[in-house]
Amino acid sequence: MARARGSIKKFSRAQVLFHWFYGSAWIVLALTGLTFMWRGDPTGPAVGLGPLLQGSVGQTLRLVHRIAAVGLMASPLVWLLGDPKSVWPDLKELFAFGRNDLKYMLIAPLYYTTGRGQLPPQGKFNGGHKVNFYVVFITFFTFAGSGLVMWFGRGSVSDAAFHTAQFVHSLSFFLGSGLFLLHVYLTAVHPFTRRSLSAMVNGWMELQYARLDHAEWVEREIRRGTAQIRDGGPAAEAR
Amino acid sequence: MGRAATWESWRPDPTNPRQHVAMLVDTSECIGCKGCEVACKQWNQNEARISQEPGTYQSHPALDAETWTVIKFFETDAENGMSMWLMQKHNCMHCTEAGCVTACPTDALQYGDYGVVTLDQEACIGCGYCEPACPFDAIHVDQTVWGQKAQKAGKCTLCYDRIANGMQPACVSTCPTDCIKFGDRDALIAWGRERVEQLKAMGYPNANLYGVDEMGGLHELYVLLEPPEAYGLPVNPSLSKTLTLWKYVLQPVGKALLGAGLFGLVLNWLAARRTFKGGLSPHETGAAMHD
Ligand code: SF4
Ligand code: SF4
Repeated sequence: MARARGSIKKFSRAQVLFHWFYGSAWIVLALTGLTFMWRGDPTGPAVGLGPLLQGSVGQTLRLVHRIAAVGLMASPLVWLLGDPKSVWPDLKELFAFGRNDLKYMLIAPLYYTTGRGQLPPQGKFNGGHKVNFYVVFITFFTFAGSGLVMWFGRGSVSDAAFHTAQFVHSLSFFLGSGLFLLHVYLTAVHPFTRRSLSAMVNGWMELQYARLDHAEWVEREIRRGTAQIRDGGPAAEAR
Repeated sequence: MGRAATWESWRPDPTNPRQHVAMLVDTSECIGCKGCEVACKQWNQNEARISQEPGTYQSHPALDAETWTVIKFFETDAENGMSMWLMQKHNCMHCTEAGCVTACPTDALQYGDYGVVTLDQEACIGCGYCEPACPFDAIHVDQTVWGQKAQKAGKCTLCYDRIANGMQPACVSTCPTDCIKFGDRDALIAWGRERVEQLKAMGYPNANLYGVDEMGGLHELYVLLEPPEAYGLPVNPSLSKTLTLWKYVLQPVGKALLGAGLFGLVLNWLAARRTFKGGLSPHETGAAMHD
């Protein structure tokens, strides 16, 4: 079987915009936040990129970090205001983690490496998307909460609260960046799953890929008559 | 004991930076003149900040980024119709296990020669992590909302620039009663213990030496007439567990896991590019026999 043409609409323009708004703020935050991890031997002089990131450069990066933080915190508005209709159904599906999702999580690592195994039919979001979303959802609040404590609470919150915020912020970073790396890998690098990237570029996904990776969703949309399907690949003119 | 001439002439061994120096404040001899505060401001060229708290004799309510030493005044309850002033020369204690060094993400704070905790203002990004990490409230970063360029941490340096050049710290050399002593840490501890015994014999049963074991050993020692809490000093201060966990567990483990994850992705890519040739899954190419 070769690749057939034809694609299905997966995301609205507002959802795509929200994704990239959030994603770019996240990347800026991660990069500027990395200054805080540049610490080698505490008794030796700063090494590597360290000295570059410190002093007034570091202070400027801190300012950029805060501006990006405001952007990140505001980004859900793009979805909420831009495409309110899709918010509830999508969130409902994202938060429903069933047996198929669990199966998917167990089989996917092997399948995406060796092609062996049979992935259970997935909805609009597969088990991996859901787990990714949970981490994003939770860290959105832990990042914002702990960040605000450190931004505005210095001197007024207790020392223990400040240290906890510091810990939670870093923990969120490690959790979030692990998922981030995996997410970028699967959607931009992995030879098979990167076929899903177009859905987050112009909203359209290859129908054949969708039938493989989101069979349950495609069937449901067709059954209900709500599927938006067109001829031609996802990268076609129609935007 | 009066003026201890021996301390005035003492200098650290310039060839032995591993030697631990210390300052010892014999609070029983402090007269609260604040000469040390002025000497500190002058030597370090820190701006004058007028912020006296009404109703006290203290020049400043607390230390700040440009005020590195302050004489704190505490009045004891009246006994036989008499109360007493307790004076504590407050500044960075140069801890052996320092909260600020543990918290500083950019290496601006480090354990330096002679046991001094050094602060490199060039490297400081003003994050303020050090502030709540110090159990003595001895390091500060000015708080401005957006004018962040102005924010740098500031604290007592133990006049590292002076002692490394064979001089005494500015506050030590200016103290008119010689109640601040500077010297080899072990020798000062021995001296302090003797002084405590002497004070006890003079009718101060609560006299004690502070700083020997606190935070792994302070490089600022105090001969006190009353228990530490009477001077606003923390009893058994300790390094925050959360901070230690953050620094020595979360950060290295997190970095290692991220690295391992990245390695796993590379391995996956090497395998997947052969399995999913042309981006097609075995189901599409018909290779999945059990389909
Ligand atoms: S007293 Fe505070 S500022 Fe000084 S070394 Fe200890 S933790 Fe750091
Ligand atoms: S404010 Fe400066 S000295 Fe304090 S923790 Fe941050 S970088 Fe280090």
